Amino acid sequence: MNQEAIIAVKNLTAGYGQQVVLEKVNFHVHSGEVVAIVGPSGSGKSTLLKHIIGLLPPLSGEVWIKDKDLWAITARERRDLLHSFGVLYQSGALFGSMTVFDNVRLPLDELTDLPEVAKNLVVRSRLRLVGLSEACGKMPSELSGGMQKRAALARALVLDPQILFLDEPSVGLDPITSAGLDKLLLDLSRSLGITLVVVTHDMESVNTVATRVLMVDDETRSIIAEGPPAELRERSRNPRVRAFFHRGQAEMEAM
Amino acid sequence: MAACELREESGGRVLLKLSGSLNAESTAACWRDLERRLHGMRPTSVEVELSETRLAGAIGAALLRYIAEGGMTPGAKVVMRGLSEQAEKVLQTFTVEDFRAARPQPHKPSIPTEAGEFTRLFWEDVKEQIAFFGTMVTALPSAWLHPKRMRWGEVRRVMEIAGANALPVVAIISGMVGMVTVLEAAHPLARFGAQIFLADVIGFSSVRDTGPVVTAILLAGRSGSAFAAELGTMKVNQELDALTTMGLDPIRFLVVQRVTAALLVTPLLTIYAMLMGILGGLVVMRSLGFPPMMIMHQLSGRVGMSDIGVGLTKSAIFGVIVGGMGALRGLQTGEGPSAVGNATTRSVIACILLIILANTLYSSLLYFWQ
Repeated sequence: MNQEAIIAVKNLTAGYGQQVVLEKVNFHVHSGEVVAIVGPSGSGKSTLLKHIIGLLPPLSGEVWIKDKDLWAITARERRDLLHSFGVLYQSGALFGSMTVFDNVRLPLDELTDLPEVAKNLVVRSRLRLVGLSEACGKMPSELSGGMQKRAALARALVLDPQILFLDEPSVGLDPITSAGLDKLLLDLSRSLGITLVVVTHDMESVNTVATRVLMVDDETRSIIAEGPPAELRERSRNPRVRAFFHRGQAEMEAM
Repeated sequence: MAACELREESGGRVLLKLSGSLNAESTAACWRDLERRLHGMRPTSVEVELSETRLAGAIGAALLRYIAEGGMTPGAKVVMRGLSEQAEKVLQTFTVEDFRAARPQPHKPSIPTEAGEFTRLFWEDVKEQIAFFGTMVTALPSAWLHPKRMRWGEVRRVMEIAGANALPVVAIISGMVGMVTVLEAAHPLARFGAQIFLADVIGFSSVRDTGPVVTAILLAGRSGSAFAAELGTMKVNQELDALTTMGLDPIRFLVVQRVTAALLVTPLLTIYAMLMGILGGLVVMRSLGFPPMMIMHQLSGRVGMSDIGVGLTKSAIFGVIVGGMGALRGLQTGEGPSAVGNATTRSVIACILLIILANTLYSSLLYFWQ
């Protein structure tokens, strides 16, 4: 695992239009890391993610991915850069008019020159990886929420991305499916060295998969804590951080 | 970037050396290249050297597994060397069945099945429309009888959007239809020296037929579709479910207001359309040389209150059709990304069809009764 920064966020002010959500945020993500972005609802986690994956231009500041400034490169470079990462959206965002198989195959069809047999092979292996081999020919509307999310994960992985962004992957999943997803993410990170950036609320998942946690806060509009989850949980001086981690724990135990 | 070196040795032996990173792009290039070259060689054994290559993920692994299974060299013995333990594991994610399985096709029903399904759905839809009509017949009067419980703000909002905002387009279209009616009738009537009856033509057609029909069709396109889209989006967002579990009936809460608004606004718009149609006709008649006083005299002598009554009755029926069908199609919205679009299309088609049908029926009945 090398230590070069694959993502660098520099002085980023996040927000929509006039509304500033986070101010002058700085952080790095190293290749192979699993970084969890946590924080209270409405603290701007998802907005931050949108700036990093190129959906929303930052109000100010820069986002560097693989040593390229995402918002200051040519359209062609940008497209190549976008191909090097996958995104799992909160709702899955599968295309409703295509079968699960064709959803996963779409990036291969549109963006690569692989022969037919290769595309089918890769799609089948990715669907098996997420445990959906049987659902190949189904339409997304025929799948449960958890299955849709897993199909979307298969699609996000199909181009072998170096970075995978996940927006609230465990929302709407039962604890067992959610734990299964965590294990899958860990496997991906270990076997292929994929860098993961996870926006989440699920503290148990954070404790299991994350190598480092960034906690954003709506009061100070900045990152208030950064470090390995165990360290933040046990030794943080900031009461808000401790509260966030321990309330999460208490709730888990209560359930 | 990955590179593939191929060396042919004696006795049908082929040495293949892969190096560099096997990602989506480089694998695609390698795959096509190897397939072509290996096909020409027809080797009996292939040795693959992998110590200098790195797998970026499943796409590269698919290539290796394909070579290992003899996909490119049928019948040849394939040996792989220098595969890391990690890569070995990724390779195991492909099974032999994967190579045989083709792309799954969504289930396509046969033509008779489809015809039967269409007929069944059509019949179901007719039944639903009748049931919906029944619901409206009970819901509307009870809503009107309890005006305090009616959400009049919503009615007003819909009337403004469907009515006031539609004035310009109704004026333009009705005026032009009036002009064209006179222009097309002018020559045939001139042959009988009966051009003065152009006033009758424009008066009767605007008041009894084109006024109400054109207005209703415009309303179907502008507002019936909007009702369907609004209610459809609400259904997709589970807002209708939320209303139901709050104990509020979506029919009483959303549909009654829209039907009432359409029922009130269509006759008003129709009167406006009648006037604009006659005005359009007048402009053309004036340009043909008829003095305004003469035209007005002819018009007022022929077109009476009963004709206006026929037009307004029609328009009230059309109003109920547009409001009702728009809302029904919205409530029937299914699931998926194209559902709201489908509901909108279906509402416009159903509205226009029913408007024309009702118009024909009504005019035929009047003809035989008079």
